[in-house]
Amino acid sequence: MLRVGQCLLPLSRSYCRCVHTTRLVKEDPRWPGWNVVVGIEVHAQIKSRQKLFSHALTSDLSEPPNTHVVSFDAAFPGTLPRLNPKCVELGVRTAIALNCQVQRRSAFDRKHYFYPDLPSGYQITQHYAPLATDGTLRLSEEDAVVRIKQIQLEQDTGKTTFDPRRRISTIDLNRAGTGLMEIVSEPDLRSPEEAGEYVRALQALLRSVGSSDGNMEQGSLRCDVNVSVNRQHESLGTRCEIKNLNSVKFMMVAITCEAFRQIELLEKGLPVIQETRGFDEASAATFSLRNKEDAPDYRYMPDPNLPPLLLDQTYINTIRQSMPELPQETRSRLLAQGLSERDADVLMAIDMGREVGYDGVLGHGAVAYFDTVSRGRDPKVVVNWITHELLGQLALRKETFKENRFSTEQLGELIDLVQSKRITGTSGRMLLRHILTHGSSEMPSKLAEKMSLFVSASDSTSLETWCKEVIEALPEEAQAVRNGNMNVLNKLVGRVMKTSKGRADAKAVRNALQDLLSTKM
Amino acid sequence: MLRPLRCSGHLRALNILGYHARLITSQATYDKNADINALVFTASETARKSVGTGPLREVSVAVKDNICTSDMPTSCSSPMLRNFHSPFDATVVQLLRSAGADIIGKANCDEFGMGSLNVYSVHGPVVNPHEPNERRSAGGSSGGSAAAVAAGMCDVSLGTDTGGSIRLPAAYCGVVGLKPSYGVISRWGVVSFADSLDCVGIMARSVKQVQRVFGTLGQYDYRDPSAATPETREKASQACSRSMQEWLSISQGGSLQGLRIGIPQEYFPAELSSSITESLRHVIDALQSRGAQVIPVSLPSTPYALSAYYVIASAEASSNMARYDGVEYGLRVDPPPGADTTKTANVYALTRSKGFGKEVQRRILLGAYALTADAFDNYFLQAQRVRKLIRADFNKIFHVANPLNSTHSPEPQSEVRGVHVLLHPSAIRTAPPLDDALIRDDGLEAYVQDVLTVPASLAGLPALNVPAGLAEDGWPVGVSVVAQWGCDEMAMEVGKIIQEIVP
Repeated sequence: MLRVGQCLLPLSRSYCRCVHTTRLVKEDPRWPGWNVVVGIEVHAQIKSRQKLFSHALTSDLSEPPNTHVVSFDAAFPGTLPRLNPKCVELGVRTAIALNCQVQRRSAFDRKHYFYPDLPSGYQITQHYAPLATDGTLRLSEEDAVVRIKQIQLEQDTGKTTFDPRRRISTIDLNRAGTGLMEIVSEPDLRSPEEAGEYVRALQALLRSVGSSDGNMEQGSLRCDVNVSVNRQHESLGTRCEIKNLNSVKFMMVAITCEAFRQIELLEKGLPVIQETRGFDEASAATFSLRNKEDAPDYRYMPDPNLPPLLLDQTYINTIRQSMPELPQETRSRLLAQGLSERDADVLMAIDMGREVGYDGVLGHGAVAYFDTVSRGRDPKVVVNWITHELLGQLALRKETFKENRFSTEQLGELIDLVQSKRITGTSGRMLLRHILTHGSSEMPSKLAEKMSLFVSASDSTSLETWCKEVIEALPEEAQAVRNGNMNVLNKLVGRVMKTSKGRADAKAVRNALQDLLSTKM
Repeated sequence: MLRPLRCSGHLRALNILGYHARLITSQATYDKNADINALVFTASETARKSVGTGPLREVSVAVKDNICTSDMPTSCSSPMLRNFHSPFDATVVQLLRSAGADIIGKANCDEFGMGSLNVYSVHGPVVNPHEPNERRSAGGSSGGSAAAVAAGMCDVSLGTDTGGSIRLPAAYCGVVGLKPSYGVISRWGVVSFADSLDCVGIMARSVKQVQRVFGTLGQYDYRDPSAATPETREKASQACSRSMQEWLSISQGGSLQGLRIGIPQEYFPAELSSSITESLRHVIDALQSRGAQVIPVSLPSTPYALSAYYVIASAEASSNMARYDGVEYGLRVDPPPGADTTKTANVYALTRSKGFGKEVQRRILLGAYALTADAFDNYFLQAQRVRKLIRADFNKIFHVANPLNSTHSPEPQSEVRGVHVLLHPSAIRTAPPLDDALIRDDGLEAYVQDVLTVPASLAGLPALNVPAGLAEDGWPVGVSVVAQWGCDEMAMEVGKIIQEIVP
C-alpha cells in the first residue's frame, strides 16, 4: 500500500492531487476494475454553552421548541451578531488536532437562501477565508492519511417539521444559530469502509478535544458525501453529492449503492451527471434532488457586521500547549503503560461515551478514571480491576460507566487493601459489589473493618479453627483427602471460605487443610 | 380644533389616553405635524413621565422610525413593518433615556432609509417646514427627523445616515446634522439598511446641541460588532486634540490662524446649482478673513464614489431585507387557496411583493444582481476596490493620520501639513418641490442627490452639515465639514465657527 505521506508537505494542491491519484487501491471484489473515490463534508455542532453569534444557550433535542431563542436568532430587525470566542477556541482546537494551518486571518460571509428555518435569509459562514486549511487525519485500520481541505465556522439552521395531518410546517428555532464546524476532506477515501472509519475517527477526535459531541443520532454530527467512480488508471469521474446522512452505517450503504449506480451507468455508456442526491434508507437507494443547472446561487457576500477574525500566534500557541490528548496519543500511552491492546480498546471504547462538557471542559471518562486510579499503582492491576470487576458489575446491573458512582478514591484504596493482602481478593470483590449495590460513599477500609474482612495476624488461628470445624463437619471428605483424593480438597476449601465469609485466603486455606490432614495421617 | 394627522392610525397611544391636557407636546406641534408629516407616532405621556435627571434632562428628542423602541412602533416607514413593535430599545434610545432625554415620538423617513427625498414612506412624504405651502421635500431619508427639528417640534432628533440621509435633509431643512465616524455610535437596535455604511447621527438647530448629545451617545457598545474599541477611541481622541491645538487655542481671540481647510475640487459637479456655490463662497471668505488657510485639494476617486456606493449599499440592502419573509414578524400575505406552495420562494414572494415599496424592491433587485456569481467580481468587488481608493484619497490629504490604519505612517512632512477639515456643499441644490419631475420620475437621476455625501460614507468619516444661509430662491443651503475618522469633535468645532459667522 502506498503511503501518502508526501502530501503532508505544503505542496500546491494540484500537485497533491496528482500524487494522490496514484495511490494504489486494493482491488475491491464488489467492483473489480473500478475505483471508488469519496470525499466527505462533516458538519459538527460545536459544544459551546452559547450560540455562535448570540447569547442564547444551545440546546439538545429534549428541550421544548423555541425555548432557546433570543431576538437575534429570530432575525429581529436591529439585532447584530456577536462572535462567541469559545466557538473560535473550539474550532482552533479541532484545527490543531487535525494538523491544520490555523489562519491568522479568517472572515465571515453570508450565504443567502430562503427557507423558513433560516430566519435572516442567510447563513453566516466562512466561504472566502476559512478558519483553517490543509490538515490531515490518519486512519489506523486502513493505514491511510486523509487530507483535510478546510475547517470553517458557521451557523446551524432551525428545524422545520411538516405535519401532514394539519398540512402545516412548524418551525423550531432552538438550533438556529448554534455553532457548526464544517470539516471538508479532500477526495482521499477509497471505499465505504474507509469513509466509515474516517467519520468514526473524526468523531473520536472531536470528542477527545471537547469541541463536539459528534453524535450522529442526535444530529450533532451530519455528513454530506461526494462519490465518484473511475476505471482503474483513468482520471477521476464526475462526482455526485449525497446529502444529510445521519448514521455511519447508512452513509456506508449510501456510498455503496451510489457507487453501483454510477458504475452501472458508465458500463451502459451513459454519463454520470453532477448533481445533489438524497438517500432513502428504506429502499437503500439514492435519488436526485437537484442537478447542476438547478444549483442555487447563494450570492455570497462578506458579512458587513463582523470584522475579520484575527488570531495572533500567542493565542494559537496557548491553545496548542493546552491541547487535550488525542485518541491515538492516548492509545500509545496506554500501551506503553503495559496494557494489552484489548484493555486499551475497552477503556477507549467506553471513553467514547463520556459526556463532552460545554466550552471545551473535558468530561471524565474511563481513561481519566484509569489514569487517576493508576497513579502510584500497577497499571495492569488497575486495568484488571476496572475492566473485569468494575465494568463487569456495572454490566450486570445494566448501568453505563457514566452512571458509575464508585469513586477513584474508593477503587484505589480497595486495590491497595487487596494488593497489600490486608483483605483477600474475594473480600475486595465483595466490597465492590456492596458499594455499588448501596451506592455507598464510605471508604473500603471503613467497610472492611465494619464487616470484619481484615486478614489480621490472629487470623492464622481462626483459619486453623475454621479448617478444624470443617474437617469435623465433613469427616468423609476429610478422610478421602487423607487417602490422597485431592479433588475432594476443593470442596473442603469452598466450605472454609464460606465459613470465613470470604475473609480467608483460598491459597492459605488449601495449605492449612493439607497441613492439618497430612499431620493426622 | 385639532386637525387629524395624516396617518391618524399611528397615534393610537394618543387616542387611548385622550390627547388633550395629557400631552406635553403642544397643540401647535400637532398642527405643525399635520402640515409637514414629520412624526409618525407620538409617545404617550406615561412613557414620557419616566424622564430622569441626567445631562439631557428636558431635551426633547424625536427618533427616526428605523431605530427600535420598545414602547412605540418601529415601522421603518414600510408596509412590511407597519404594525411592528420591537421587543427592545436600541442602545441609543437607552442612552437617551438614561440621560434624562424626553423622547417625544418617532420620525418619518424613507422606507428602511432608502431614498433621498423622504417620499418613499408608507406614512406619506414629509413636507419641508421652511415654507410648507410651497410643498417642497424635506430630503431623505431622515426627512422627518430634520423637519421636526426645523419646525421646532423637538430640540434634537436622531436620524441614520447611510449615504447622506442626515446631511441632505439637514441641508434642505436648514438644520445642523452630524453623521459621526462609522462605529462611534452604537448600531444595536438600528434596523440595518447597509451595515458597513449605516451610522446613527444627530440633528439639532445648533452645533452645540449636537455636540452635547454626541457626548452622551458616542459610547462603546459591546453589542455592536463594528463598534470602535475604547482603545481606538482614545487614540483618535488624542490625535484629534493634538491637531486642534494648532488653531483652537488662538481661535478664542477670533483668529483662525493655523486652521487649514481643504476645498475638494471634485465636489463642484456640473449638476451643482450656482446659488449653492455662492453661499459656500461666503462661508469660505468669512473663514479666510479670520485667518484660516483655504487650500484647494483633490480627491481623484470621487467620480466613482456614487456608483460604488449604490452597488455596495444595494448589495447589503438585498441581504438585510431577506429577513422580511412573513414568518417571524411583520406583514404576512398568506397564499391563496390552491396556490403552488411547493417552493419557499413562491410563498415569500406574496409577502415581499406587498410589503416592500418600489424603491426598496428596486434596490433589492440591484443588490441581488450585484451579488450573483457572474456579477460579483465586476460589481461588488470592483465597488470594494473603489471604496479603498476613496479611503486612501482622504487619508492622503488629512493632517491627522487615520487611527484605524494599524500601520503607522510617518507624520506628514512640514511642507505638506495636510488639512484639518474639508469643506464642500452638502447638496447640489436646495430642496426640490415634492411634485418635481425628479421625484415623480423613477429614474436613477434621484441618486445624483447623494453625489456629494457618499464619499464620506464610504470612508466612514465624520461629516457635519451646517446651515449656510439661504439661496436665491429663499431656501436653506448647507455646507459640509468633513474630518478624519475619529475627529468628530474637530468637525463640530469648525461647525460652531461657521454657525458664528453665518448671519
